[in-house]
Amino acid sequence: MDQATAQVTANGVIAQNLTGNGPMPSRAGVGLKPEHYRDILDASPDIGWFEIHAENYMGDGGPPHAYLTAVRERYPLSLHGVGLSIGGAGPLDKNHLARLKALVDRYQPALFSEHLAWSSHDTVYLNDLLPLPYMEETLATVCAHIDEVQEALQCQMLLENPSTYVAFAETSMSEVEFLREVVRRTGCGLLLDVSNVFVQATNHGFSASDYLDSFPAEHVGEIHLGGHAEDSDDDGEALLIDDHGRGVADSVWALYSRALSRTGPKPTLIEWDNDVPSWPVLFAEAKRADAVIADRRSNRVRVSA
Amino acid sequence: MIPFSDIERDFAWAVLDGEASVPGPLVGKSGRATSGKTVTRSFAVYQNNVYASLIDALASRFPVTARLVGEEFFQAMARIYIGCEPPRSAVLLRYGTSFPDFVVQFSPAGSVPYLADVARLEWAWHAAYHSADATQLTLAELTEAGPDAEDITISLHPSLGVVRAPFPVVTIWQISGREGKDEPTQLPDGGEDALVVRPKLDVEVRRLPEGGAVFVLALKGGATLQEAASSAMQEAPAFDLKANLAGLITSGAIVSVR
Amino acid sequence: MTAHTKKISGLAIGCSFAAALGMAASSQSTTAADGVEKCYGVAKAGENDCAAGKGTSCAGTSKIDYQGNAWKLVPKGTCETMELPDTRKGSLEAVDRDLPPA
Ligand SMILES: [Fe+2]
Repeated sequence: MDQATAQVTANGVIAQNLTGNGPMPSRAGVGLKPEHYRDILDASPDIGWFEIHAENYMGDGGPPHAYLTAVRERYPLSLHGVGLSIGGAGPLDKNHLARLKALVDRYQPALFSEHLAWSSHDTVYLNDLLPLPYMEETLATVCAHIDEVQEALQCQMLLENPSTYVAFAETSMSEVEFLREVVRRTGCGLLLDVSNVFVQATNHGFSASDYLDSFPAEHVGEIHLGGHAEDSDDDGEALLIDDHGRGVADSVWALYSRALSRTGPKPTLIEWDNDVPSWPVLFAEAKRADAVIADRRSNRVRVSA
Repeated sequence: MIPFSDIERDFAWAVLDGEASVPGPLVGKSGRATSGKTVTRSFAVYQNNVYASLIDALASRFPVTARLVGEEFFQAMARIYIGCEPPRSAVLLRYGTSFPDFVVQFSPAGSVPYLADVARLEWAWHAAYHSADATQLTLAELTEAGPDAEDITISLHPSLGVVRAPFPVVTIWQISGREGKDEPTQLPDGGEDALVVRPKLDVEVRRLPEGGAVFVLALKGGATLQEAASSAMQEAPAFDLKANLAGLITSGAIVSVR
Repeated sequence: MTAHTKKISGLAIGCSFAAALGMAASSQSTTAADGVEKCYGVAKAGENDCAAGKGTSCAGTSKIDYQGNAWKLVPKGTCETMELPDTRKGSLEAVDRDLPPA
């Protein structure tokens, strides 16, 4: 798709249509969990959209595809990859790209996103989003990989800022500088995970507000919010872990408001992947995000009136 | 300047080998060096993520295997398997195909001799769950297509699998898969062969009668009905073709007849 | 090929097929009914996630707890209540066959 049509409509009610597959509303969505298939299909709850982890739908057939097909008939979809290893040193897995393309063709998602992280080394898949140093070499590799993805999928992708627990001595630029340069070179958009910003800020001792204020907000196509766990590092200081195992913390909700004030209303995902709650609990969390978006909208209207 | 490929290699090794030291060029909060002989808690988050998530994946894929030996034993066994045979694809739903073979030669599990057979049955269930879909023939279609042909070839559902076991694997799987209190059970003598198939969206597991496994495997391999029946009779002279065919039909395993 | 091959003539196969259809038809009438709640099948969790595990000390990293003691660990699950017969035949003589349905 022509990247010109993927320009962000700043503060627009409807986010840009990244893949040409229909609009993604600027409201809350949630991760589609097998635990909730029946709740969703029985009651068709009023929720903006669903996001799936692409790899969970890479089987040949069976119930996962049957459920997803039924859900897709009723809701917009965001395809979120977790295994492409865009931040890896080696080449992208062509077979994996082809599997992603098949999912894009079959389910026509409105958005496709992946992570600034790596998960494969040689032929081993480590099943985690592992960190990379931010330097010229990795910048060039990441950009080449994103070019390849956008070429293969024929759409703009969104790149997500990660949660990290360690940093590298080799790093020579900040994460925001790195992301800004990736966007400039590839024309990709960004997925701003506000929880990841909070987790990283605590783990690495920087200001989450400063990070958000310097983030290239005009390129954000989606926002993530998720719960985190608290642990401690070797020095007994706070070590936050992005476990998606509970509701979003109040401090993260506050940061979310701050982020929206810069990006305008954006499709916002509640990520709750471990200890998945009952549907009403998850739905209520999404409604809370919708309320923040509505609040943001009315603020903007008041300011511009 | 260390090339990223070297950093990635060291990082990957250190994640997989829980006893390796933290890879050199890592820094912690405010740039404090964290390299050293012990694995720091921050780096351990990655080791934990990788192993815990894969152990969980195996436990959900082999739930009865896990119940048979208990959570602690299963986790320890799974951890060793993951270290020996980590995933080779980002598509985790394909991970674990070699786990039953690993269980066979995992000597601490030797006191549960049927454990690998149960794992094999669970993998067949998992494979059937994610297999390609196909429409089974209805009775009417079968009636129209079948009876006159001399050398009928039956195409079976792509989800179909056969597990042959010298132990009563279906009985063990049924008893251990049940919710509720674990009652002492005297297992039946002899082995059981299982037919696993997902005709629509529910995976079904059935015991195969005598000669049934040979019969179904032959059909699956492309043999004609006559050839498959002959093979089955060679192994089990009492092989009942009519009953076996009826079983295949009612389990929705037949997708075409030529 | 053995003598069995000859016994199963084309005609015999045809007869068996027709008879099997009859058996299947009579058993299906009693075991039909896929309820509405079953029309999508069992929903099994997908395992690819972008979330982290539960900290630094659960099953994943406790290598010392698990691997160090692995050889001392013994199976302690439902297998404890299952007894295999003393005299095992090791043949394929299965019991309680449920294919085809009785
Ligand atoms: Fe995220």
